[in-house]
Amino acid sequence: MSISRSTSILAVDFGNVNTRSILIDLVDGVYTLVAQAQEKTTAGFPHGDVGVGFVRVLTQLSVNTGRRLISNEGRVISPEQSDRTGVDLFLATATIGRPLRTILMGLFGEISIASGKRAASGTYVDILETISLGENRTLEDQLNAITLARPDLIFITGGTEGGAEEPVLELAQMARMALRLMPKGVKPSVLYAGNSAIIPQIHELFDKLTGIFIADNVRPTPERESLESAQKSLAQAYNAFTEKRGLGFDVIAEMSAIGVVPSAQSYQTIVDYLGRSVRGGILAVDIGSAVSTMSASVKRYTATSIRTDIGLGHSANVILNAVPISAIREWLPFQATDDEITAYTLNKSLRPATIPETVRDVYFEHALLRASMRTLLRDSRPTWTPDTALDNLNTPMPYFERIIGAGAALTGTGQPMLTAMLLLDAFQPAGVIRLQADPHGLIPALGALAYIIPEAVVQVLDGRSLEDLGMAVSLSGIPRKGRAACRVRVTDERGEVTTHNIMGGTIVSIPLPLGVAANIQVSASGGVSINGKRRLKIDVIGGTAGIIIDARGRALPLERSVRGLAGQLPAWYEQATGVKHAIPDEWLSGALPETPKVEEPAAQKPRRGRRKKAEEAAVEEPILSVTGDPAAEAPPKRRGRRGQAAEEPPPPETKGEDIDDLRNLFS
Amino acid sequence: MTYEIYFPNHRHLLTSTLIRRERTLPDTGGRIDVNPMTRVGLNDVIAHTTAPSPYVVIDAVRFLKLRKASDLDALMEVHPGDKIEEGQTIAVRPRGKRLISPITGSLIYVGEGRIILQETAETVEVEAGLNGMVIEVEQGRGITIEAYGAVLQGMWGNNRRTVGTVRIEPDEGVENIFRDAMDIELRGAILVTKRQIKKVTLQVMEDQGFIGLIAPSMDVSLIDDAMKAPGAVLLTEGFGNMRMSASHITFLEDMRGRQGTLDAVLPAPLEPRLPEVVINVPLTGTNRPPAPNTTQPLRRGDPVRLGSGAVGRVVDLPKTPVLLDNGLRVMCVQVELVAGEKVIVPLANIDYLG
Repeated sequence: MSISRSTSILAVDFGNVNTRSILIDLVDGVYTLVAQAQEKTTAGFPHGDVGVGFVRVLTQLSVNTGRRLISNEGRVISPEQSDRTGVDLFLATATIGRPLRTILMGLFGEISIASGKRAASGTYVDILETISLGENRTLEDQLNAITLARPDLIFITGGTEGGAEEPVLELAQMARMALRLMPKGVKPSVLYAGNSAIIPQIHELFDKLTGIFIADNVRPTPERESLESAQKSLAQAYNAFTEKRGLGFDVIAEMSAIGVVPSAQSYQTIVDYLGRSVRGGILAVDIGSAVSTMSASVKRYTATSIRTDIGLGHSANVILNAVPISAIREWLPFQATDDEITAYTLNKSLRPATIPETVRDVYFEHALLRASMRTLLRDSRPTWTPDTALDNLNTPMPYFERIIGAGAALTGTGQPMLTAMLLLDAFQPAGVIRLQADPHGLIPALGALAYIIPEAVVQVLDGRSLEDLGMAVSLSGIPRKGRAACRVRVTDERGEVTTHNIMGGTIVSIPLPLGVAANIQVSASGGVSINGKRRLKIDVIGGTAGIIIDARGRALPLERSVRGLAGQLPAWYEQATGVKHAIPDEWLSGALPETPKVEEPAAQKPRRGRRKKAEEAAVEEPILSVTGDPAAEAPPKRRGRRGQAAEEPPPPETKGEDIDDLRNLFS
Repeated sequence: MTYEIYFPNHRHLLTSTLIRRERTLPDTGGRIDVNPMTRVGLNDVIAHTTAPSPYVVIDAVRFLKLRKASDLDALMEVHPGDKIEEGQTIAVRPRGKRLISPITGSLIYVGEGRIILQETAETVEVEAGLNGMVIEVEQGRGITIEAYGAVLQGMWGNNRRTVGTVRIEPDEGVENIFRDAMDIELRGAILVTKRQIKKVTLQVMEDQGFIGLIAPSMDVSLIDDAMKAPGAVLLTEGFGNMRMSASHITFLEDMRGRQGTLDAVLPAPLEPRLPEVVINVPLTGTNRPPAPNTTQPLRRGDPVRLGSGAVGRVVDLPKTPVLLDNGLRVMCVQVELVAGEKVIVPLANIDYLG
């Protein structure tokens, strides 16, 4: 579909808590984000219809812009009229809705089922049961497991290319039998992504029974995984399912140029695009109320993971199934029992939109947020390398040039420096990194828009429409507390120079207004480095948090006792927000359990010897000259590492190629 | 965000209002037994549905020692769709083995040498749960009932619905009602306790036979017990040790002795209902109370409930974000509590009570 002459674009994203809308229009010939608005989603009590929130958010957008966008009947006015009412193009995206209830079948748990699970992690899928040939259940138990679960989809994997066919056919026949037992109208669709040799038999088995999707084998060889085709088919299956989801989406879908697109698809699209236009990787994380998404572009391959069991609102009641309590307690500066932490999560799921009111609640909320992001990171990493079935989680994190955070808990703090700190805490990047936030749901909208007007996406992204929190410089090694860890010299556009001594163990925002350019020189003290270098000179652009200097060290030296955390975390919050938290003594009373360390990649574990650590950190990520404009960046110098090839920076690209890339991507 | 068009969350606490509630069938479908404009009572059955029942798979080829699967068809005594009784012969070899049904149910499928039976599904009756008028019927999906009454909406429920008379716990608390001091008034009642639910509370509920329990809060460790409780359990505040707000206590005390429906809905994403108790209150005069206004933006003077459970009225809507003691800077509302104290709380944390 191409509507190349559309000038005004309205996009609405339906989250589980918030409905957000943005208006994009041509300003001086360039697509520009003109306005945004946000209202509550009205899928729950008392309305049970997203249309109510839809009308409200568009009414608000109309008020904010002075431009009528919606008719008295609640429909988007389209196309744009001569009096500037209405818009040329309307798009809708959504994360709301229950996930696709799926039964996953495969030959072996650790091979085809494992690959099937990884493929499913890219869509809103809830795996209700896994069924394999090797398990002990009887056929009767397996059939009842399928039929009583009332799935929306049966996802069949199994068999390598050229391998045995009979066992996979046996699985498929079991699925067929289950389908035959289920009443008409509730028969699930089937997705087959196993040995391709039996595709004709698969068609024979299912064609007359239900809808069928065929994808490439997720495990063509025991050593190789191929997830992309299955992920696309899962997305198609989800789209087909959402058309029937009710809640007023049928009306919205009818008005939208491309129906209602799952927001996670947009993350995949936009991160993929951004990954092609920068030298380093891109990481985007959205911690939503019911669903969380992580998209990473590493070496120009993009992978997206979706978790319906991680969320800080509706899904908070199940978050502890995915995120260990010990990982949450690592970020709490007070004693909290398991029951208290569980009660917080349960109460949050009862009131998903709640904002922490007290000091104690803000620590619970942010501990959950950080632990969720770290769990998502840990679980997503295996999908970042498409051709390797078994990733080594102990290898260092790939270099990310930019990290983008989304979700109300992360972007709604009202304190850009706090949002930046939360991202740094969760991902603990070293070196120079650009931190951004997406408080208005721009990425979901742009991902949907990319199918129709790719150049609009490029122009809006170039127009700095995402919130730039700022450039963060994070020191490697463990700086000594109470001593200067680095000295930062800032030269602004007028040539005025300010110098800042940054103390070890602190995180500091150096003021630099949003969009204002400056040059900074960072000189690290002994024992610490900026990716192995003692000095750094770069051009930066100010963000809403100015310039961020994280002199707390890498790996982040979190205290391991509650009393230690009670001294450490409030200090960091004070540095980030200017507000001092008092932790009463009684919060620390009782036995102080040592927080067990959660399994982390080795890159983030303390290493022996500071010098050694600094040396190792030096080769993990490149140092870039950063201006925010990829074309202006100097190529990074890379050195080889023992037994590990250094990453070569991708070649620079021109902007014209950006649009072509994007077009190709959507073709 | 402009406050003139801020729409708050709704969680009703109304002594007299028009209530419209849907009674929906599960996705297994069912049969609706009432027509539009029919008057229904609390316990009237308005629909029948069936619970999904398991299948039984019999490897008939092996059992009957057949050479090939296709031989089975000729030996069948019953056929797909037929009802069967436990002990009934399903298939028989001439002068040989008999295959006896292990269940009562129906024969669903014969093929590939297997016989699949399904146990008789349990029929579930759906009650009206309200004294009112059926205003809409959608066959296969559900009905809408309109009624007048008082309504209190809470935070959590154990997924049960029950109808009973509202009673208030004795001064010494539910825990002190002993088995040997059986109180006949409590049997079949919806009991209100102002204290946090404890394990013993649920035991007393079972011993005394009250079918509903309204409490402020409960420890998370008791969730499983509450889910298995013999009646409906509703929490007005949530999990942990929270006290019931004065407004809720007053409301429930005023409803003492009245019949009500405790619909302890288990909150879930996309669940369009809240856990609530709807109480029959006689209408006075000829004026009928209106339905709650759920489309009105928040205004000064509106009654609201805070996250802490406290109740008050909106006195100010600051136009810019407010810095909280915890360091967050968010849009807030100033509320004057019933006791006269004024507090600033995040706008997202209040519920409109009207």
